[in-house]
Amino acid sequence: MSDPSVPPAGGAPTSARGPGGSIYDLGYQAYTGPRLGRRSAVVALFTQTLRSSFGIGRGGRAKIAPFTLAALAILPAVLAVGFASLAAQAGAGGSLSDASPIRYETYSGLVGVLIMLFCAAQAPELFGRDQRYGVLPLYFSRVLTRSDYAVAKIGGLMAALFLVVVVPYVVLFVGRVLVAPDPVTGLTNELGQVPRFTLQALLVAGLLGGLASLIAAWTPRRAYATAAIIAVFIIPPIIVAIVGSLTNQDLARAIVLFSPGDVLDGSNAAIFGSIPDSQVVAALDLAGWVYVGAVAVEIAASVGLTVRRYLRIAA
Amino acid sequence: MIVVGPIVGVTLRGMLSRRRTILLVLLAALPVLIGLLVRVSGGRPDADRVLDTLVVRTVMPLVALIVGTAAMGSEIEDGTAVYLMIKPIARWKIALAKMLVAAGLTSLLVVPAIIITGLLLGGRTDPMASIVGYSVACLVGGSAYAAAFMTLSVFTSRALLIGLAYTLIWEGVLAGLLEGTKFLSIRQATLGLAAALGVNVPGGQPLSPEVSVLVLGVVLVGSFLLASWKLARFEVRGGD
Amino acid sequence: MTEPTGLPAATSAAPPNPNAALEVDHVSRWYGNVVAVNDISFALGAGVTGLLGPNGAGKSTLLHLLAGLLAPSAGRVLVGGQSAWRRPAMYRQIGLVPEREAVHPYLTGLGFARLNAQLQGLPDPDAAAARAIAIVDLTEAAGRPIGTYSKGMRQRAKLAGALVHDPRVLLLDEPFNGLDPRQRLHMMALLRSMAAEGRTILFSSHILEEVERVADSVLVLYAGRLAAAGDFRSIRRLMTDRPHTFTVSSSDDRHLAAALMADASVFGAELMGGRLAIRTADYDAFTRALPQIARANAVTLFEVAPTDDSLESVFSYLVRR
Repeated sequence: MSDPSVPPAGGAPTSARGPGGSIYDLGYQAYTGPRLGRRSAVVALFTQTLRSSFGIGRGGRAKIAPFTLAALAILPAVLAVGFASLAAQAGAGGSLSDASPIRYETYSGLVGVLIMLFCAAQAPELFGRDQRYGVLPLYFSRVLTRSDYAVAKIGGLMAALFLVVVVPYVVLFVGRVLVAPDPVTGLTNELGQVPRFTLQALLVAGLLGGLASLIAAWTPRRAYATAAIIAVFIIPPIIVAIVGSLTNQDLARAIVLFSPGDVLDGSNAAIFGSIPDSQVVAALDLAGWVYVGAVAVEIAASVGLTVRRYLRIAA
Repeated sequence: MIVVGPIVGVTLRGMLSRRRTILLVLLAALPVLIGLLVRVSGGRPDADRVLDTLVVRTVMPLVALIVGTAAMGSEIEDGTAVYLMIKPIARWKIALAKMLVAAGLTSLLVVPAIIITGLLLGGRTDPMASIVGYSVACLVGGSAYAAAFMTLSVFTSRALLIGLAYTLIWEGVLAGLLEGTKFLSIRQATLGLAAALGVNVPGGQPLSPEVSVLVLGVVLVGSFLLASWKLARFEVRGGD
Repeated sequence: MTEPTGLPAATSAAPPNPNAALEVDHVSRWYGNVVAVNDISFALGAGVTGLLGPNGAGKSTLLHLLAGLLAPSAGRVLVGGQSAWRRPAMYRQIGLVPEREAVHPYLTGLGFARLNAQLQGLPDPDAAAARAIAIVDLTEAAGRPIGTYSKGMRQRAKLAGALVHDPRVLLLDEPFNGLDPRQRLHMMALLRSMAAEGRTILFSSHILEEVERVADSVLVLYAGRLAAAGDFRSIRRLMTDRPHTFTVSSSDDRHLAAALMADASVFGAELMGGRLAIRTADYDAFTRALPQIARANAVTLFEVAPTDDSLESVFSYLVRR
């Protein structure tokens, strides 16, 4: 697909001379080859955002925070697998891995804080830098539309979060399969968990990524964005906990769906068929699908609002 | 020492930009609002527990973090720190002024919030003991946090994130795991101090009063010394 | 007025020169693998010295080393005979106008000057601030916040802040950046008058003409090394004495080439793909001779361009010497 505004074929370089001055020929030639188009641009921005989320391509110091947090998130899974295999060798077998506090259904609660810190560390870099350095006009004057830009960026962050969340689950899964008496029974036992943890990982990545994107897109200054993201993640559960400890549960039910940590806690419980980590959430006794539905709605809302921000931003 | 005054003045003015002030006021008002909510809905909560969860664990460290990292960090980040550094002022005086602002502002926000919230919540027995105990403990603890974060921001531009990781991961996880490392937590030291002043602190055996005071003292003095040391070796890279 | 010395000194450390307000002795500064300042030595006294060099030459780094804002990786930086690093008392004698735009935007011009005066510990900060503002001719706008200032006004506000304590030494990093011609002239006159009062002024620039107008002597920096030091005119002569190349495009290149080779100022002519490349040793004579020769031989000149007149090529030539 060639650009119609450019004269066809690589013609000979020209110079113009007039009585008052000269235009020097520097050998500039317009590019007339094939152009990849909008879809490639979006994919390119998506991959670049995904890589930047881990600091790849940005020098050593940018990798410290994301890799440390991701490593800490995997650590419990590795430890659990390690202990389980040692126990299996000693003969204790499956009972130990079930008794361990590090299981599929408890993992989300264990590493939740790390994922939130990952968002607070990386989202301001991904969304704030382009705004602070004024490069948005460069993006928007390309074939990429404003909403493409927003979606690609959000997608990149969500994909990165998904990786950080799902890999520990996969480690647990593989570990359990290998530790089982024989791989086939292990596989059949554990296979049912795969869609469960994948869904929970999608919900976590979607909700936390969406909210972090929204806040970071609205707050170009890094310090404010980081503080605001953390505030939004850790303060609502505290409010819910306090309100929930009162006798009047209706108020708590009303606000629990606006607390990201609690909503994900509820969806985790619904998906794995377990009890929510937070006693308050458990006491509220809302149906599981309510939480899952709430997460879906909130993801859509945060993506929509972020896109709206970029549609209206001055650039 | 009179030079400390202008430093305090310019730090405060630089720190209290509209956005930051709103964020800080909201954070400080949060416990008060919750207190109001509880009062209005007629609940009878345990003030000791609520103040611990709301203030000691959340609002105090967050306020100290925002204020502490901004006290020196915002000037370093936007490039106006140079004008302070090229003055014939002993570096410890600069560190002192910044610490005073950070600690003072934190206390100014946190302590009234405790008092008002405590009064709204009303304890099961005598609210005044809790209020006074938490106020004093958070005055010292909040100052310790603020001083530590201010010093951290002299060393690195990512002080906010590291401070968050410390508060959320280290101090948050400590609660569940190793008893022996309790003294490495400003939060635990604050709670220990509160317990010594008569507050019924939730969550297991608090640190003894002597250890708490020692930890907080070490943090305060150590932060001051470290900040002074680093400021004496402060480097500003040029453009080319 | 002492001449700056650019001669390589002996390897053993020389005693500090009591006459020099600023002295730099075999100073280097590196960041990992990148050497920003490479073995520089000089001593400056009263008067205006220009620090000239292309972007990335290390001018800012050198100024920050002198201002005690960077530690030298090797060598000594001396202000008034004493080390510049880690000595806050030095700032009583030194004023720095940094390159970075950032100034507290909510302060007024007068307020900024007053803040600097207070931080300097002056007994009467208001009077000192007013005086400094008057020197830089900012009195009218001094009541407005700096955030509303134009670039030139902001430069002057920064200068006022650096002058409140009447420093003996003044360091300015790219002070003419972004100033319009009138503001530039004013700043130049200011620097000259302050130097006449006995101050040592060192300012950096990458524009030859600016340095030429203001500075008595010049330090030329290229890729972190001192390429030339001394009186400006003699350096200028050195720079113009080097061989020059020109590219000429005319109606009859061959004929012109033959005619030019007869002239004493030309020592080489080459026909290259539709153009004529001339090498000459005498810039002045050649530029006068070329049009005359062209006219005398009825050749029309279309294009005359010097091909190596960039500052970079000048500097690299100097450095190779």
